[in-house]
Amino acid sequence: MINTEVEQEELMTLLVAVARSDRQAFQRLYERIAARMFGLCFKLAGQQELAEEALQDAFVQIWHHAGEYHSDRGSPLSWMLTIARYRTLDLMRARTVRRTAGDERLEHLEDPRSGPLDHSLRRAGAEQLTGCLDELSDVQRDSILLSYYRGLTHDELAQALSSPIGTVKSWIRRGLMALKRCLER
Amino acid sequence: MKKTPERIESLAAEYVLGSLKGKARNRFERWMMESGRVRQEVWYWEEKLGQLGDRVLEREPPESVWLAIQHRLWPQQEKRPAPRQAANRIWPAWGMLATAAALVLAVMLVQQPSPEPTLSGAIVQSDVSDPLWLVSESGRDNRLRLRSVAATSAETGKDYELWIVPDKGDPLSLGVIPVGDIFQVELTDEARETLSQSRTLAISLEPRGGSPTGKPTGPILHVTKLYEL
Repeated sequence: MINTEVEQEELMTLLVAVARSDRQAFQRLYERIAARMFGLCFKLAGQQELAEEALQDAFVQIWHHAGEYHSDRGSPLSWMLTIARYRTLDLMRARTVRRTAGDERLEHLEDPRSGPLDHSLRRAGAEQLTGCLDELSDVQRDSILLSYYRGLTHDELAQALSSPIGTVKSWIRRGLMALKRCLER
Repeated sequence: MKKTPERIESLAAEYVLGSLKGKARNRFERWMMESGRVRQEVWYWEEKLGQLGDRVLEREPPESVWLAIQHRLWPQQEKRPAPRQAANRIWPAWGMLATAAALVLAVMLVQQPSPEPTLSGAIVQSDVSDPLWLVSESGRDNRLRLRSVAATSAETGKDYELWIVPDKGDPLSLGVIPVGDIFQVELTDEARETLSQSRTLAISLEPRGGSPTGKPTGPILHVTKLYEL
C-alpha cells in the first residue's frame, strides 16, 4: 500500500527526477507502482493483454509528461493511476473488446442476491470518499462504482442493472452531484 | 453547448468516471483545452474518484511489459554484449540489462488456416518489412514451430538461441535456432505450461552451439509475445 505521506513524498521525488529524464528513477518508479497500476488496469479491462498494453502506454506517457504534474492534480500516485485508467478505457473503447475474460464477473452481475459489485469493492468505495458514497442510493452508488472499476458503458450498465438507459444515466449524474455536495460539506 | 457551471460540473464528473463517451467526450476534451475552470473541475474529480483506485488488489505485471516500455522509449540503444558475470545473474537483472539491447519488440497476429495452433506470433524488426521468424505452437502435438522468413545469419562464431521467458524465474532454453529453415521443438509439459502462462519468447545471441551455462549470456535481440488464436 502506498498511501502514507512519506511514500507519496518518495513518489514525488521520483517523479521530479523522471521529469529530468532520470532513467534510474523511472525504473524505481516502475518497480514501486507497476503492480498497483496493473491491478487497476486489469480490474477495468478484465483481460491480460489489454491491461499490459495500457500499463505500457501509461508509463511511456509518464516518462514524457512527468513535468506536467502539479499538486492540483491530486497526489502523484493518483495522477499516475488516472493516466493508466484513461488509457485502459481508451483501449477498451477503441477495440470494443468487451471482457472475454470476465465471465465470472458477468455471472456475478446477474446474481440478484449479492448485487452487481463484490463486497470488498463496495466497502472500499465506502471507506474512501469520507463515507459520502453511503449517502447515495444503492443504484446510484453501484452505477458509479461499476463505471469506475469496470468501465461499464451506459448500455452495459442498463443491461447489468436491468433498467432503461435513461434511468441509468440519471442515476449516475444525480449520484455524482450528490457525491460532490457531500464532499464539499 | 453552453459552458454553464452546472454542465461543466456534471460533464467533468462523467468524463473522469469514463461514462462520457464518443463525440461528447471529444467535445469535452476541447472544453478542457480552452478553459482552466473546466480543467480544475476535472482535476477535482480525478483526485476524488482516484481514491477508489486505492483499494484495488495489486497484480504483478509480466517482465515483458518493462522490456517493452524501455524498448519504446529508447529504441536506439546500442547492442552491447552482457558482461561475463551475467551468466550467473538472475533473470530479472539480466532482463533489465538486455532490454537495452533489444532491437525490437513488436507483435503481430498471424492468421493460420488450421484451427490447431493455439499460440501464434512473429518476431519482427522495425527496419525489415517481413517478419524475421513466424512462430506457431500446436497444442495437439506439443510442438513449437519457428519458420525463418527474413532472418539473417548470426555473426561469425555466434548462434541464435530461443528461450521461453517465464513470468517469474529464469528463462528456459529451447535450443539454438537455424536461419533459413524451419525449426521445430517438442515442448516438455513444463515448458508448455510456462509458455502458456507467459506467452513470451526471447532470442539471444550466444557463442556457437548455444549458451555454455544454460542461461542466456549474450544480448537479447528480440522479445516477442505470442497471441492465442
